[in-house]
Amino acid sequence: MAEVKKYWKGLEELKESSPIMDNLRQNEFASEMPVEDFLGNGEMLAGAQTSRRDFLKYLGFSTAAAALAACEAPIVESIPYVVKPDSVLPGVPNYYASNYYDGHDFASILVKTREGRPIKVDANRDAPFNGSANARVQAAALSLYDNSRLKSAVKEGQEVEWSSILAEVSKEVAKAKSAVLLSNTIISPTISEAISEFELTHSNFKHISYDALSLSGKLDAWQELTGRRALPCYNISQVGLIVSIGADFLSDYNGQSMTSDYSKSRELSKNMARHIQFESVMSLSGSNADKRVRVKPSEQSQVLLAIYNELAKAKGESQLASANLDAKLMQDAANTAKELMKASASVVFVGGNKKEDEVLCYAINKLLGNLDRSVLVSKRSRLRAGNDKALNQLIAEMNAGKVDVLILDSVNPVYNVRGFEEALAKVKYKVAIADRLDETSSKSNVVLPMHHGFESWSDALPVDGVFNLGQPLIRPLFNTMQREEILLAVMGNSSKYYDYLRSYWSSNILPMGMGWNQAVHDGFYMSEKSEIEAGEASSELVTNYDEIVASSGKQISTAKAAGIEISFYQKASMGVGILSNNPWLQEMPDPLTRASWDNYLTMSASQAKELGLENSNTSNGSLNGSKVDITVNGITLTEVPVYIQPGQTYGTVGLALGYGRTMAGKAGNNVGVNAFVLLQDGMHSASDVRIEKSASDDHEFACVQLHHTMMGRDIVREVTLDTFLNKPAKANGEGWNERTTYETYEGALTSDDANLWKDFDHKTGHFWNLSIDLTKCIGCGACVIACHAENNVPVVGKDEVRRSRDMHWLRIDRYFSSDMNEEVAQEGNIGAIDMFNAMEEPSESPEVVFQPVMCQHCNHAPCETVCPVAATTHSAEGLNHMAYNRCIGTRYCANNCPYKVRRFNWFLYHDNQDQFDVNYAMNDDLGKMVLNPDVTVRSRGVMEKCSMCIQRIQYGKLEAKKEGRPVADGEIQTACAQACDTGAIRFGDANDSQSEIAKLKKDDRMYHLLDEVGTQPSVFYQTKVRNKA
Amino acid sequence: MHYESPIREPLILGDKNYHDVTVEVARPIETAPPRSWWIAFSISLLLFLWGVGNILYTIGTGIGTWGLNKTVGWAWDITNFVWWVGIGHAGTLISAVLLLFRQKWRMSINRSAEAMTIFSVIQAALFPGIHMGRIWLAYFVFPIPNQFGSLWVNFNSPLLWDVFAISTYFSVSVVFWYVGLIPDFAMLRDRAIKPVQKHVYTILSFGWGGKAKHWQRFEEVSLVLAGLATPLVLSVHTIVSMDFATSVIPGWHTTIFPPYFVAGAIFSGFAMVQTLLIIMRKMFRMEHYITIQHIEMMNIVIMLTGSIVGVAYITELFIAWYSGVEYEQYAFLNRATGPYAWAYWSMMTCNVFSPQLMWVKKWRTNIMFTFIISIVVNIGMWFERFVIIVTSLHRDYLPSSWTMFSPTFVDIGIYLGTIGFFFVLFLLYARTFPVIAQAELKTILKSSGESQKKHHTEDGHH
Repeated sequence: MAEVKKYWKGLEELKESSPIMDNLRQNEFASEMPVEDFLGNGEMLAGAQTSRRDFLKYLGFSTAAAALAACEAPIVESIPYVVKPDSVLPGVPNYYASNYYDGHDFASILVKTREGRPIKVDANRDAPFNGSANARVQAAALSLYDNSRLKSAVKEGQEVEWSSILAEVSKEVAKAKSAVLLSNTIISPTISEAISEFELTHSNFKHISYDALSLSGKLDAWQELTGRRALPCYNISQVGLIVSIGADFLSDYNGQSMTSDYSKSRELSKNMARHIQFESVMSLSGSNADKRVRVKPSEQSQVLLAIYNELAKAKGESQLASANLDAKLMQDAANTAKELMKASASVVFVGGNKKEDEVLCYAINKLLGNLDRSVLVSKRSRLRAGNDKALNQLIAEMNAGKVDVLILDSVNPVYNVRGFEEALAKVKYKVAIADRLDETSSKSNVVLPMHHGFESWSDALPVDGVFNLGQPLIRPLFNTMQREEILLAVMGNSSKYYDYLRSYWSSNILPMGMGWNQAVHDGFYMSEKSEIEAGEASSELVTNYDEIVASSGKQISTAKAAGIEISFYQKASMGVGILSNNPWLQEMPDPLTRASWDNYLTMSASQAKELGLENSNTSNGSLNGSKVDITVNGITLTEVPVYIQPGQTYGTVGLALGYGRTMAGKAGNNVGVNAFVLLQDGMHSASDVRIEKSASDDHEFACVQLHHTMMGRDIVREVTLDTFLNKPAKANGEGWNERTTYETYEGALTSDDANLWKDFDHKTGHFWNLSIDLTKCIGCGACVIACHAENNVPVVGKDEVRRSRDMHWLRIDRYFSSDMNEEVAQEGNIGAIDMFNAMEEPSESPEVVFQPVMCQHCNHAPCETVCPVAATTHSAEGLNHMAYNRCIGTRYCANNCPYKVRRFNWFLYHDNQDQFDVNYAMNDDLGKMVLNPDVTVRSRGVMEKCSMCIQRIQYGKLEAKKEGRPVADGEIQTACAQACDTGAIRFGDANDSQSEIAKLKKDDRMYHLLDEVGTQPSVFYQTKVRNKA
Repeated sequence: MHYESPIREPLILGDKNYHDVTVEVARPIETAPPRSWWIAFSISLLLFLWGVGNILYTIGTGIGTWGLNKTVGWAWDITNFVWWVGIGHAGTLISAVLLLFRQKWRMSINRSAEAMTIFSVIQAALFPGIHMGRIWLAYFVFPIPNQFGSLWVNFNSPLLWDVFAISTYFSVSVVFWYVGLIPDFAMLRDRAIKPVQKHVYTILSFGWGGKAKHWQRFEEVSLVLAGLATPLVLSVHTIVSMDFATSVIPGWHTTIFPPYFVAGAIFSGFAMVQTLLIIMRKMFRMEHYITIQHIEMMNIVIMLTGSIVGVAYITELFIAWYSGVEYEQYAFLNRATGPYAWAYWSMMTCNVFSPQLMWVKKWRTNIMFTFIISIVVNIGMWFERFVIIVTSLHRDYLPSSWTMFSPTFVDIGIYLGTIGFFFVLFLLYARTFPVIAQAELKTILKSSGESQKKHHTEDGHH
């Protein structure tokens, strides 16, 4: 029988006879309701303030008000925490150290998350290796929220359950006669050991790795020379001379990021490193060189040989076969050799993938004593380990039908390996571990979608001795699986990767049970035992060294190349095309050509003229270029646009890799042409290129800069190192960094003094200033992407960029020198019109300058005075503010801006899928997760521009205020300054006399852009110093 | 002794008497419009509707539908704005300034000139509105009490001055025009037979009774308004020019702009009056009222202001060279020799060279020639604004941002739309309003002079 529980209502009920209880039992309302008082008293009612009519009015009003309030749009898709995680405070970002590795780029990163969403990638500056984030790594946050990622496992086009498909694949692998795992270079020590072990115990299983842009030849050279198949690490921070022969070491050389070391080596002093570059396509490195020599790819080897011979001669060593060069290049090589001899420390790089080149480069560095000083033979990079021979053998086996099961681990060989597609068709069972249905995975039987790197645990050994640990930053968005866990499962191991990883680390990497949390926190662990691989060898171990070098020399000396030569290069934005579907990267202008959304055949002006090809501007300025069909290594690519590139060697052309994807996603599909199909034997160049003009119409470029020279204007100031060291910056108008003065009745005045304006008080409080060092800026564009991510800058697509409507708040202007200047005009008696016309043409062998330009935050801002509604105003802290919701969009401010940094929202760029579908950061519910919640997404019709990351300034000030202290120098960083690897961009409070920025403001090299306009910007530049002989 | 003083050429030909004037002025209103009117009206209306469509498209989609870009933030929009404002100037000049100077010849043309002013100011006023990115917030430009904190407009901005200048100009012009219309409306009211017409004109004529007191007040108000309107002739375009002159862009930042713009405005305004009146006098058979003399007078004004404009162009070039400022020098060199040189030389040909032909009396009294030149001048003046705005912006300080501008069909559509709108208004006006200020005109009718004499002669009396 159920027991009826009795609940006591109060203590009184316990007493046997309580007067209160009695009273309550009889009387429902313990105290009298004053009904009579209210309604009985007619007099009072009549005299009441609230009449019946008032009452009805109030009733009516409150009902209406309540009804109206209820009409407010419900907040959709905003889900509060039920149980809030301890570490997550709404509005406060969390930073986590992690790894970024996509098979090509590796970086140790710090990821900013807001309310559990990773929204911004920064470099982990504490990391000992690649603690830098280039443009591609910066953009990775957006790729996480790419809706074209695969959302569940797929077999033959049908969604399948993970457990069953993994069991199936694992069974297939076990029973196959030959199963092959094809991957890119695997840098995870954990999984690579697991694979090796599996390989050892299963004779039917083989692991082959390859790199999209092969360095196999170079790796073979190192194998031969040192017994270990790994490229060296470089330390160029102390060198006095950098000689690069065709190597773009500032973008991608051996996977190591050398930008910050490059900048360190070029600190201004008499020891500033000099940089000499021999190359065919104008590269990022070449554009920063103090001396740049145009050579053909085939001549690069010869230059190397010539330098070796010169050095050997000087050192009394035996010379090799003689180089095959014309007198001028011979002289350049000899001069370079002379400089190398003189330099205290130096480094020589060679580009391409020729084994004999690398041997000779090694030999040169050895002659110069650079081994283990700048070329770290004992510290090897592990970022490139692909083996072309193994790959070629695999393709042969596949064609012969000998491969039963092929596992394609996050690679895309159908796209980037010539002839792979046909071979793949002959494999019975193909499994792709991929993040999307790309060119390769779409042709596989089974596609196993993997986590994005930010959803997974990962470890890496990118270089000897440095272990990196990456933690997940967000729960997996889709029904995907950790890539390593898939591999383990395929190999029959069903453990969770986290457990596996942790146990591997504790037993193999970390000292006894220690340091896991610390390693997760730091993102890296420096191991005492620097080598994992056994049997390390150094150059001494090689007995036939001289023989190897001599035969390489001979090989080079007898090499023949004919016709036009082509080199394949990577753009700073696209690399090898892994992040093709990233609209930020697609819209990032190439540092040199400033074209976005494209690759093209770069060609010298004279060559183009010879072939009857041209670049022209249409009536709205946009660039058009002729199209050609090119035949390289027997393959023809049709309709390749031609871009006339100053600095390109005559007789050569260049074509960027990483474009022409067909199944990357809506942003990446059909942008440019696929250069990978032209690559043969992993070589980065080829000769005998046939170029024929296509019959079709001109190609339409989306180029953000249409004029390439400074037109003789004082825009980028430049001095030679000699002048910088020995001459005064200011000396009564004779120095190298003088301010323009105006003759007035009060004498010669600068624009600051000769003005009619009332000055703002910038002596008290903060005065935020930004310094940009033009010597240090290498133009890489990481800041451009950082700005995109931080400030929700819209991507507008190719057509709009073509209409000169790119929205970049921060752009990097690139100027080429021209053969014409005022002196030449004066000497040649050339009139002004002809002079200016000639000035528009860049030199065929130009010097290059990069100049990042963002809002200059003028303290006498032309934009502020002209806005009719005061939507742009000045702050007490030296910033030029933009009040978006006040802006009515007259564009007067943009017209009156001498720097042309203001950007207008011509259309609705967000939630406008009809027009701006490619910009999924703003037009896709998932993509929008990347938006920075601290920054307004601007609506159509308003003006926007750089705010000097005002949200960060405010955050920093608030943090300092909460702690009751002044803002520390360096505590607040703009996104661009933070992203800058070379330290070219510096931000701070100029009123803090101890701050770095205050010192930079007093620097001899400091100047304001367009100082004579009298705008008094808060942004200033540091004169570029070129180390010219 | 009978002395006959030498008399001036009469301002009205054809021995009109008061009744003739009344009848002839009222004729277009009281009769059905001719076919030519319908054709013109249909074309204008189509253009107008096309323009409306384009404006709605712009407002619905964004300014991106125009050809503008990050470097050239204004182009056809402000070109059209300045052009239409400029055209408006002639009306005010004719009706106000010439009234103060007692130039009686203005009487035949001032009504239409003023109508032209108002209609063109309407076109002009459209552009600052629709060129805004967010036109629905256009009220932000008015200094009205608001609850956005203590947000006020920016009195430093020439664009704000524009708002005041244009709205003042428009309201004063409308009032001035309307006051002049009152006696004429009363005339129409008195003649109207149809009840609706009668009713409408009764309302429009404000109970005009033609009493002496009415006339006295009419004269006084006209004079006062003329006094008010006169400075506006100078101020409006001065302020418009300051949009450019107060900026820092080479080619805009020019102190010569205010007088140069005013001269240009009068120049283009008179040209537009010519264009309109030459058509109108033909269409409405008003050759006796708008005579060759009028046309010649206006041509002289065109020639004079055209020369002033020419001097201004040359002064600009000289100052650019003389200033020694490299940006300024390049801006002007680029105008004359750069990618928009065709626009510059079109402007030079139309504005500087073509009016010089008016030195020849035979040509300046030729109606067809005048008509062609009047159109040429307005093309030239449109190019002048285009040259100032676009060629200055497209290559300013930093060559990295240099680009070009090319109009889209929407830019062109809106421009054509305003032309259509203007003619729609003007054609409607021509059929409903007295196109000649007949009440004023009757004051200069030589009723006791030539016509009487002739009358006598014909009757044989001595």
